[in-house]
Amino acid sequence: MGRPILEVRNLVKNYQILEREPGLKGAVKALFKRTYRQKEAVRGINLDIQAGERVGYIGFNGAGKSTTIKMLAGVLKPDGGSVTVDGRDPHRERIENAKRIGAVFGQRTQLFWDIPVQESFSLLKEIYQIEDAEYAETLQLFTRELELQPLLDIPVRQLSLGQKMRCELAASFLHRPRIVYLDEPTIGLDIDIKETIRAFIREISEEWGTTVILTTHDLQDIESVCDRVIVLDDGRIIYDDQIRTLKETFSNERTLEVTLEPHRLFVLPETLKNRVQLLESGADDMTILAFDQRQITSGQLIREIVSHNTIQDVSVVVPKMESLIRKIYRKGA
Amino acid sequence: MRRYARLYLLYIKSHFKVMMEYRLDFLLGILSVFFQQFAALFFLTVVFSHIETLKGWDYYEILFIYGIAFLGRAIHHIFFDNLWTLGWRYIRTGNLDRVLLRPVNPLFQIVAERLQQDGFGQLLIGGAVLYTASLKLAIDWGVTEVIWLVVFVLSSGALYIAINLFFATLSFWMTDSLPIVSAVFSLSDFARYPMAIYSKVITFILTFIIPYGFTAFYPATFFFEGKQSAFALATPLVAGVSLVIAYRFWTFGLQRFASTGT
Repeated sequence: MGRPILEVRNLVKNYQILEREPGLKGAVKALFKRTYRQKEAVRGINLDIQAGERVGYIGFNGAGKSTTIKMLAGVLKPDGGSVTVDGRDPHRERIENAKRIGAVFGQRTQLFWDIPVQESFSLLKEIYQIEDAEYAETLQLFTRELELQPLLDIPVRQLSLGQKMRCELAASFLHRPRIVYLDEPTIGLDIDIKETIRAFIREISEEWGTTVILTTHDLQDIESVCDRVIVLDDGRIIYDDQIRTLKETFSNERTLEVTLEPHRLFVLPETLKNRVQLLESGADDMTILAFDQRQITSGQLIREIVSHNTIQDVSVVVPKMESLIRKIYRKGA
Repeated sequence: MRRYARLYLLYIKSHFKVMMEYRLDFLLGILSVFFQQFAALFFLTVVFSHIETLKGWDYYEILFIYGIAFLGRAIHHIFFDNLWTLGWRYIRTGNLDRVLLRPVNPLFQIVAERLQQDGFGQLLIGGAVLYTASLKLAIDWGVTEVIWLVVFVLSSGALYIAINLFFATLSFWMTDSLPIVSAVFSLSDFARYPMAIYSKVITFILTFIIPYGFTAFYPATFFFEGKQSAFALATPLVAGVSLVIAYRFWTFGLQRFASTGT
C-alpha cells in the first residue's frame, strides 16, 4: 500500500451554540446577554484511507458525520488536527482540492435549479474544465447506467427526488474525481432507485479507482457498496475495520426468536443464564435471545427453551449488518 | 480570466433560455420597474412644476443626475442582483457549501447564478432620461465627454455593487443582513439630488462613509458648465477603492464562515 489518499490526524471541530431560555422572555434576554455553550462535534479523529477504498461512515444524528465530511471536503476549517487529501490541505488549497473531489450533500442540489439537467452538466463541464471527448464518453456511460436519457431536457426543479438524486450522482462523478463524498445519497428513495445508485457507485469506483466516503442511515447501502466501515459516536471513532472482518467477528452470533402461547410468561432456564442474552421479552408474546454458536448450539438452546416454556413458534436468525452495528454502538457507549 | 468569461457567457445563455420560458414574468418584471421609475420621475416633475430651481439646480440638470443613477443601478441590478439573496438563499440553506465545493471563485458563482431581467427596463429608462436631459442642457458632446460618461456610469454601477457587497457580507455574522442591505440601499435615493440641499452631516456620510454621492451627483456635475464639483473626476478612484474594500471584507467574512459553518 502506498501513501493514503486521505490522511486525518487528531481532527477536532467545536461549535458555539447560543444558549437560549425557552419562550419569548428567553428570546428577548438572548438579545442582550448571550451565553454560548461549546459543542465538541468532532473530538480527535484519525483516519487513513487508501485510494480506491469505499468507506461507509456511519453514526447517529449529531455524531459528527457531516461535520467531518465538510472538513474533508475543505468547506469547513478544522479547529485542531490536520486533513491531507492527495498531499494537500483541502481547506487552504480549497480550489485546487475541489477539482479532484466530487460530492453529494444530502438534499442540497449540485445542479442548477431552473435549467435542464443537460445544461447543468454543460456548466459543470466548463466549471471543471472537462475535455470534450472525455465529457462525451462519461455522459454516455452515466446516461446508460443511471437511465438519464428521459431526464436530460427537464429542468431540475421538475424532477422527482429519485430522478434528481440520479442526476446529482452523475454530476458528482462527472469530472472523474479522485474522491467522492456522498452524504446520505439514498435518503428517502425507493428501493429500486437505491439499488441503481448503489450499483452505480460500486461500478464507477471499481472502474476508475475512485475513493468513496459514504454516510448513510441505511446499512444496506454500506453492505452493498463499501468494503470498510467506520462507526462514529459522539465525535469519536468507535469502530474502524473491513466489513469482511466485522462479519467474521460476529459470524457465530445468532438470535433466537421465540413466540409463546398467548398470556404465558417466558421462563429462562437457570442453566442458560450466562450463555444467552435476553434482548427483548414480553411484547406480543415475543422473546428475542442472543447467543454465540460456540457456546451453545441452536439445537441445544431450543431444546432447553421448549422444555421450560409452551411455545407457538421459534426461529433462529443470522444477524444482519444492522444488528452488528447496533452491537458496536452498545459496546462503544 | 478567459475561462471565467466563457463560464459567465454560458451562465447567461442558460438564464436567457429560462427567461424566454417565462415570458410573462419577464414582461411584468420590466413593466414593474418602468412604473417605479416613472413614479420617481413623476414626483420630480410635480415638484418642479411648483419651483423653478432647487438650490440653483434646474429640472433638466436633476433629470440628468437621475439618468446616471438609473444606469448605474441598472448595471448592479442586472448583473449583481444575487448579492441580495446571500443570506436566505445561500447561508441559511447551506447552499454556500455547494458553491465552496466547486473549483471556481465563490463570489463569481453567486453573482453568475442570477441575471435580473427587470434591470433591462431600468437601463432603457435611464438611457431615455439621460438623452432627453442632455438635449435640453447645452452639453458640448465630444469624444472626451462620451468616454467620461461611460466611465462614470460604470463607476456608478461599481459603487452600487461594492456597497451592497459590503453590507451583504454582514450575513456571515448574522445569517441574513437583508434588512441592513435594504436600509443602506434606500440611502442611495438621496444621492440623486444635489448635495447642496443636505446638511453637512448627510453630505459627509454620502461622500466619505457610504459614497453614494459618487453614483450620480458628483460625476453628473462634470457636464454642467461652471458647476463642476472637485470630486467629479475622483469618481472612478472612489469606485475602485470601494470595490477593493468590499471584496476584502467579503473574503474575511467567508473565512469566518468556513471556521464556524454558520
